[in-house]
Amino acid sequence: MRHTLTALVVLLLGNWVAAQHYSNYAEQSNRLQTLAKSYPQLATLQSLAKTNGGKDIWLLTIGTGKTDAKPAIAVMGGTEGNHLLGAELALGFAENLLKGSQSDSIRKLLAQTTYYVLPNVSPDAMEQYFAKLRYERTGNATITDEDRDGKTDEDGFDDLDGNGKITWLRVESPVGEYKTHPDDPRVLIKADAAKGEKGKYLLLAEGIDNDKDGKFNEDGEGGIAFNKNLTYNHRVFAAGAGDFPVSEKETRAVLDFLYDAFNVYSIVSFGSNNNLSTPITYNPQAAAQRIVAGYQEPDARANAMVSELYNKITGSKDAPRSMAAGGDVLSWGYYHYGRFSFSTPGWWVPKTKPDTTRKEKAFSVDDPVANYLRWAGQQGITDTYTDWKPVSHPDFPNQTVEVGGVDPFVLTNPPYKMVPALVQKHSEFLVKLAAYQPAIDVVNLKTEKLAGGLTRVSFDLINKGQLSTHSKLGERSYFIKKVAVRVNTTDKQQVVGGRKITLLNALEPADAKSFNWVIKGTGTLVIEAGCPTAGVKRIEVNL
Amino acid sequence: MRVMKTNHIFLSLVLAAAVLVQQAQAQLPNQVFKAAGSPVNPKVTVTWNRYYDHAGIGEICKKIANAYPDLAKLQSIGKSYEGRDLWCLTITDFKKGNADRKPGMYIDGNIHSNEIQGAEFALYTAWYLTESFADTKFIQELLADKVFYIVPTINPDARDGFMHKPNTASSPRSGVLPIDNDGDGQVNEDSYDDLDGDGHITMMRRKNPNGRWKIDPKDPRNMIQVGPDEKGDYELLGIEGIDNDGDGRVNEDGYAFEYDPNRDWGWGWQPNYIQNGAYKYPFSLPENRAVMEFVLKHPNIAAAQSFHNAGGMILRGPGGQEDVGTYNAQDIAVYDAIAKKGEELIPGYKYLVVYKDLYSAYGGELDWFYAGRGIYTYSNELWTPYLLYMKDATRDPFDNATYSFDRYLLFQDAFVPWKEYDHPQYGKIEIGGMKKNYGRAHPGFLLESDAHRNMAFSIYHVYHTPKLEVQEISERSLGDGLTEVTAVIVNSRMMPTHSSQDVKNKIERPDRITLTTSAKILSGMQVENRDLNLSTEQLNNPQTIEVANISGLGSVTVKWIVQGTGKYTVSVDSYKGGTASASK
Repeated sequence: MRHTLTALVVLLLGNWVAAQHYSNYAEQSNRLQTLAKSYPQLATLQSLAKTNGGKDIWLLTIGTGKTDAKPAIAVMGGTEGNHLLGAELALGFAENLLKGSQSDSIRKLLAQTTYYVLPNVSPDAMEQYFAKLRYERTGNATITDEDRDGKTDEDGFDDLDGNGKITWLRVESPVGEYKTHPDDPRVLIKADAAKGEKGKYLLLAEGIDNDKDGKFNEDGEGGIAFNKNLTYNHRVFAAGAGDFPVSEKETRAVLDFLYDAFNVYSIVSFGSNNNLSTPITYNPQAAAQRIVAGYQEPDARANAMVSELYNKITGSKDAPRSMAAGGDVLSWGYYHYGRFSFSTPGWWVPKTKPDTTRKEKAFSVDDPVANYLRWAGQQGITDTYTDWKPVSHPDFPNQTVEVGGVDPFVLTNPPYKMVPALVQKHSEFLVKLAAYQPAIDVVNLKTEKLAGGLTRVSFDLINKGQLSTHSKLGERSYFIKKVAVRVNTTDKQQVVGGRKITLLNALEPADAKSFNWVIKGTGTLVIEAGCPTAGVKRIEVNL
Repeated sequence: MRVMKTNHIFLSLVLAAAVLVQQAQAQLPNQVFKAAGSPVNPKVTVTWNRYYDHAGIGEICKKIANAYPDLAKLQSIGKSYEGRDLWCLTITDFKKGNADRKPGMYIDGNIHSNEIQGAEFALYTAWYLTESFADTKFIQELLADKVFYIVPTINPDARDGFMHKPNTASSPRSGVLPIDNDGDGQVNEDSYDDLDGDGHITMMRRKNPNGRWKIDPKDPRNMIQVGPDEKGDYELLGIEGIDNDGDGRVNEDGYAFEYDPNRDWGWGWQPNYIQNGAYKYPFSLPENRAVMEFVLKHPNIAAAQSFHNAGGMILRGPGGQEDVGTYNAQDIAVYDAIAKKGEELIPGYKYLVVYKDLYSAYGGELDWFYAGRGIYTYSNELWTPYLLYMKDATRDPFDNATYSFDRYLLFQDAFVPWKEYDHPQYGKIEIGGMKKNYGRAHPGFLLESDAHRNMAFSIYHVYHTPKLEVQEISERSLGDGLTEVTAVIVNSRMMPTHSSQDVKNKIERPDRITLTTSAKILSGMQVENRDLNLSTEQLNNPQTIEVANISGLGSVTVKWIVQGTGKYTVSVDSYKGGTASASK
């Protein structure tokens, strides 16, 4: 029945068509506008900023009623411009959620939870996938001097074989550090000097040393990368990081929005960093440093709990190790924003076993490209590798130079036909994460009449969710509102015992806090308890 | 009737003009005698024994720019949160060279709103330079070479707040962008309250037989703590105010401290749970953002000063212990040399390092200027109790020297006498104490002399920004129609063209030394040792040799191999060192 209903809704909406390929900026914008038009009661689209490339940073708010008064999850895609999958996961989640919004469970969910979906925070960079020259780009349209020589964009990639994409350049050279992979001659790996191996090739990204400074492709088009530009452990002066944190219009706009969204308790971002398939563990030394460098113990526990949920839903394993490189959303979301922060690449190339029917043997040397090519071969994907082909190169006039190798993007973005299933799993995760949401409740409410118009009012305040109202670190931030318990007296009422206002740093899932007041007066007494990340409970007591 | 009226108006205009002339020239030139080192009959009269609000500062800036169009230009570099202009005076000899290509010094004041005199000190610098230019050869030479960018106040909203609203000497420290200090979801719901309505927020005391305070027998206005074996008769109830929101705390969420604008800069920034006062991210406050954008547009700024109060300090970074390695030996040598001179010029001021001698502070202005932009920067903490009696004293507000100075030199103008008040929560109390204009701001008669000394320190500071000169161009025939052309570029001041932090991180581009000649340039190189013939060739674009740095009181030698002959012009172009050229 529910199925039919959903199908009917889709039919009625008519113009909603599932994407068949990764969406470019215009298509992403279209899909968002379609959602906002089709679900005016549930979805609001706004632009937080325009980038230097003139592209909107879209925010789709999904929820019912007063969305800013409900605990919220922020979902962010495109933290890295070369990660198209992330934008698809965020946007696909919004589409799935809204498609299912007629169901009881989603209706109930959206009555309690708000989702802030930022599908693509790197629109300038991501468009490079769709451009005439395809290469992996994370920098926005800000003009920068990556090599700090006083000139901008003077040495970008060059499409030497004219195939419209930037692959690799190998140069036969006695000083080369690379050799061919023993099990797959298409792949180059580093020669191991410790084993007495000698390299045969220099390996460079496809291009020319345009400014003759001895470095290749070190200062091309592409400016500041969103996932390097935030405040935690920001790498000042590093290429793509910005000369100071949050230097860009889009980073400022996103942070301004999020800082003022006091109701956000968790932020889930898609990008190369990963604390979902493998949680971040507690390191007491790092956690205790003045400049906090590790998760607080309860926050590490929360990470482990959510990670378990993620792995159960997605069935993921063998995720590549990730180390947040600084300036990134995952770290910022926890260390500076003070929220439960999660990130996942969403997909990675599975560890691929040799297929004996294809006469494959176990690799003698592990290498991600070799693994990818084996996996691609078994999947029947054949068009993501270019055979090495000689070219003449102005910087190596008398040397053998070949262009070829694996395509850009394919190691981190699966073929599009795999995307809908990934969207499905990640949507399920984002919905189930909301079931862990902190939720303030009042239990054991009692009123006792004392003599002379006095009433004693008492209750226990609990958090019935599975996450604390605040991360342990977040308790220390003044951008996070405390749990406030307020007795709102009328002019006929007076608090003669107890505090009119009590502020609590947090309420953990197992916590219960007892309150009691002695009130003089008559009429209805109103007590409000809660905070933006866990909702506010309002109770009325007849004196 | 109508004609009469016109005449009348004309007459008033003439009279008004006469008054204006008289105002502009306070005395006739023959009635005054020059005191050494001060402008004798300034075109812009400014009374330097009082303070000016934002409008007052704007007025003085405009007068200086109008009176000296060839020496001063006024611009607004941005707007404050409430829309006030951030005025910047550019002071240089505009008739000589391109202002923005001269080595520059940026000066601001008042980043903390209650630290008001930084604005007057900065403004005094602009005033003194313009008024002294005509008859001081040193100033003429200085302004031919250097440029000052002077922003008297980078926190005008709360400067006006400090002056025009009830405050203590320490409030407000921040700008006025509202913050929920206590995290209860309400903003500014419990500020100080000027209970006695006198425009000053002072102290509250209450008679209490169990109190731990008593009246100071040396000055009955002062309160002192009783000894451990002594009984007191007063308790101090803190700063004037009430618990406005009924949460059991007094004055916990007002505009006195919203955030700290000096924890908002883009180097070593930390969030507020580590660095109290930090806002959302670096430059999240509009005033600082405007300064940052101005500085990025002016890579010629090589020196900077940010005036604070109080304590009599010449501060340099690092602000954070974690940043010790950023300040390396070569740069510290420059910092030390200039600041040691400062200690001499400004009696009572001590040269100190923030993290070591004060406390660790992250995201401060001086750290961004130095570590983020490679600019040698000090923060002077203006006013020191040393100036009370020209001897060491404490900063304790209950210190007896503070009271006796007020009694015998200010005639008790700085004190609000204790007066009874019926407080809604505390009952019968007394309110009184030092006024907001005393304790951190200079008393009027000490303002000008300390402003002058601090200006002299800035002048010494800017004097030692690099000064480049093409000292030598020489030729040597190599035979076969080839000539080696060697040029020596010298820097005759203490600062290098790139601080070592700048060299390490390539903050600004290298200096460029260009040979212009009709001969054909075959090769260009930087010479490491001329005597032993050691050099490194630059493979690309040999006409312009790029050098990473020209060190302080040092030189750089470059040479070219050219074919044929011609005239040679060698020019050097450095962001922080300026430009110079010579021909042969």
